[in-house]
Amino acid sequence: MAFNFNWSPLTADANFYERARDLLTTALNKSPKPPIIVDDIFVTELNLGSVPPELEILEIGDLAEDRFRGIFKMCYSGDAFLTLKTRVQANPLNTYLCSKPSFTSPQPLAAASGLTIPLQITLSEIKLSAFIILVFSRQKGLTIVFRDDPLESLKVSSTFDSIQFVRDYLQKTIEVKLRDLMMDELPAIIHRLSLQLWCPDQVPKEEDEVKEDDEHAVNPLATPPLDAVDANGHLLDPAEIPSLSLDGGPEMQSLFSQKNLLRLDALTNSHRTSSLFTPGIRDAMFRAWASPSDRFAGTSTPALSTPSLHRSSSYNGSVHTYTFSDTASQDHGYLPSRPSLVSLTSATTGLSLGSGRHSRAGRKKKNRVVNLRRKTGGETASEAGESPSETSSVQGPASEPIMATVPEEELATQAASPPNKVRFQAAMEMSQQPPRSPANPDIMLPSDAPISSLEMRTAPAPSQPAYSSPILEKAEPQWKRPGPRSDTSSSSVILEQAWIMKMAGEIARRVYDEKNRNPGFWEEREDSPPPAYEAS
Amino acid sequence: MREFMHYVTNAFYGATGWNEDNTYKEVNATARELIDFPLPRGLRLTLSSLATPHFATSYQLGSVDIVDGSISYLYSSVPLTNVASQSDRIPLPALLKSYRRLHELGSRGKPWLLDTDAPAEPVLQAVAKKAAITSRLAAANAKQQDLDKNRSSLLYGRLYLPQSLLEGLVVKRFSSALQVQLSAVSAQSLRNGGTLLGLVQYDKGKYGVEGLASTDGGLLGVRGLYNFGGDASSSPTDPTSENNAERERIYGRFSAGGELYYGTLNKSGGMSLGARFATLPTHRGTPLTTTLTINPLMGNINATYAVLARDYCSLATRMEFNVYSYESEWAVGMELWSNRRPAGFLLGANPAAEPEPLAEKPKVRERSFQAKMEWRLDEPEPTKEPAVTADKAETAVKKEEYLGVLKARLDQNLRVGLLWEGRVKSLIFSLGTGVDLHKLGEPFRSLGLDIQYSS
Repeated sequence: MAFNFNWSPLTADANFYERARDLLTTALNKSPKPPIIVDDIFVTELNLGSVPPELEILEIGDLAEDRFRGIFKMCYSGDAFLTLKTRVQANPLNTYLCSKPSFTSPQPLAAASGLTIPLQITLSEIKLSAFIILVFSRQKGLTIVFRDDPLESLKVSSTFDSIQFVRDYLQKTIEVKLRDLMMDELPAIIHRLSLQLWCPDQVPKEEDEVKEDDEHAVNPLATPPLDAVDANGHLLDPAEIPSLSLDGGPEMQSLFSQKNLLRLDALTNSHRTSSLFTPGIRDAMFRAWASPSDRFAGTSTPALSTPSLHRSSSYNGSVHTYTFSDTASQDHGYLPSRPSLVSLTSATTGLSLGSGRHSRAGRKKKNRVVNLRRKTGGETASEAGESPSETSSVQGPASEPIMATVPEEELATQAASPPNKVRFQAAMEMSQQPPRSPANPDIMLPSDAPISSLEMRTAPAPSQPAYSSPILEKAEPQWKRPGPRSDTSSSSVILEQAWIMKMAGEIARRVYDEKNRNPGFWEEREDSPPPAYEAS
Repeated sequence: MREFMHYVTNAFYGATGWNEDNTYKEVNATARELIDFPLPRGLRLTLSSLATPHFATSYQLGSVDIVDGSISYLYSSVPLTNVASQSDRIPLPALLKSYRRLHELGSRGKPWLLDTDAPAEPVLQAVAKKAAITSRLAAANAKQQDLDKNRSSLLYGRLYLPQSLLEGLVVKRFSSALQVQLSAVSAQSLRNGGTLLGLVQYDKGKYGVEGLASTDGGLLGVRGLYNFGGDASSSPTDPTSENNAERERIYGRFSAGGELYYGTLNKSGGMSLGARFATLPTHRGTPLTTTLTINPLMGNINATYAVLARDYCSLATRMEFNVYSYESEWAVGMELWSNRRPAGFLLGANPAAEPEPLAEKPKVRERSFQAKMEWRLDEPEPTKEPAVTADKAETAVKKEEYLGVLKARLDQNLRVGLLWEGRVKSLIFSLGTGVDLHKLGEPFRSLGLDIQYSS
């Protein structure tokens, strides 16, 4: 895998500088200015320089053709510079009076008369060093967030360089201002700029994406049934169909009756196979007697109309296991992946919900979805932690993911490098899953662990038992070490269950402890993510 | 329009014989009031009352964006018995007149004249000329009488309601020449919750010195004004007739002064120097005031010229130039009094009102030049005097009939301010608008109406 960071084409584009200047100018003039600045601030020169910043990839969270998420360490000491122009009030008494109530003003006669001086400030020799969280999505543009204050030093040269006091003051003030700008304004500017660059016409682009990405986002209403009926069987006006959208989940569900869809699908299957079974569908007129092609069209379009149905068949190939309640709930989990429906999920957890359920759903069917993130472990652990009573009551299904994931982690830690970037790993995944307690460093994965776990997971993919059993065998001795050994399989099952319960309780306790110890850490999650986080 | 509380405070100064104009701060007050008069914004109603001679209240209700208001109280240890407080009896010039005539130096103890123009009355002119001499002798006698006035004090408080902003003012006289003012503002939005300004004023007639200290930035300041020429240079002890006649040639008073500020906390300062020439009330020609202030630190030069062209018309110009930045500014202002009814004034005068500041200005300059020439010419022939007084005696009778005033200003950005003030029944109103001639599409920048009623 290789990344090609191209610095010069960005800087060679003349329009880019113009746009960036405009955006910076508006950003600088947005907030109310102190009375010492009597004019607008104009960005007259902006040059990113020829020396690119040094980037070190710490972690790549998500990687696809149209989206990317990663953490970088950036060091910059290049020749970029920025020139600002404005006018300042040189009379200190004038600015002093501006912010004071007139009642207690000393009312000077002419001592407060103004003297405005044009001021030109050049910022150069900017040295940056920061950890950057970069999220790119073709629909949502590029988002850059600085983990901490990126500014190391910079040189401020101005019209008043000869006056030591003014120079020091400017240097100090501008550093403070620039820190604010970097942390708050720059991400917004870059995001807006990227939107202009990659998707100037965002909306049509999204629709294109939707059409290409037919597996996830087939719009059933794009090809409506010829004689669509609503839930009560009344004929729908074809003109009304485009107005229906996928947002109204229940509405759509009522439009296409679940029971009938089930039967239609069974009917389609019976046509594909040599089964003679033909399900009877109430209140439906079969057009089967017209022609086979017609019949196919008539049946397949409604089948397309339920995304859950369609998706499950795509996962499982020809084997159809209809668990409608389950897929329906997943349906909502999937919706965020469609750009137009992001609003359905909350902004904070949109990403984690979508991808989390996605991976879990994939696992329950068949592990065909290659996931670089190791999020299932955390999720199941948190599930178990949050509701230990639930796991004890539903032993069977709950035990399976834990078995599958915990050993993975152990294996990964054995194979991987020492956990050095732990903090950013945790920070990155804050939006994805609750952070594990630092008291358990084995579970804390180093940054390149996902790659090794990827290898582990893709190899035994073909069948579920084959996939989980070797890991189980390998990991089991470790787990049983504290407890008494038993050779009988039944006792081992009991032990397993007891261990799981104990483990779940332990995790819950640690999570709780961690929460108590560091409440601010958890509150950080409440920060609304940058827009691109909602994308994937 | 001066606010009622301002009017009462002025009345207090008058009653205690304090000459508030004898400070450096007020050097260019005339031009400032003619040009920089405040324009009302939104609707504002003021109900005021001088309930007892010692106590005044004022309630104000305004609606600029939100409804806000203020409550103010004033207490004076000196009974303000001679003050007309009813809004149908308040002399309008006291509230509205911008052109300030010079007060007599050292005229303490004289009863405060309700009409600020009173010393300028041509009828009184001959009297005043003698009074100017005799009043100094009278002042010595009166000193005994107003010893109690020398210990007088004034308390004033005002609470702005939605903002919870509190203003307070204490004025305390310690002797006939020494007065201390303490003003304070308390508000949540201010740093440290408020500010306090202390002002020590020492007025010796011939010179006035002020020292001030503010808690805001630890500002300290000194300013002083020195009068010479005209009546100031003549000592009251030996007004020999020959010397007097020599001095009478100059019907004006020169004043020069300066100010110096230093902020102890923010280590910044400021200063300016200024000079003024103003004709004395006894001057028979056109009264005029001209000032020049210089800020040597900031390179700012400011010159103003104000003239009472006719009894009903005064004009002012101001020019500013900065020698460092080569920025310049100019502004002209005009005040036009009318004795017609307000509606008639509006209908009759308003169509011609807008071009007037520009059209009439050169005429008046010419006139003022003539006046200067006249000043030299009429000196050898005092026979003209009775004719003039007789002529102006009629206007003096009519003067009380002034019912409205139109003020206008124009600056170099072609921004026009128009203010029409007057009295309807017992309400004093002030209707103002700001017009931007650069944006003729929507010229009215602001519009406001102040209505004041007092009893």
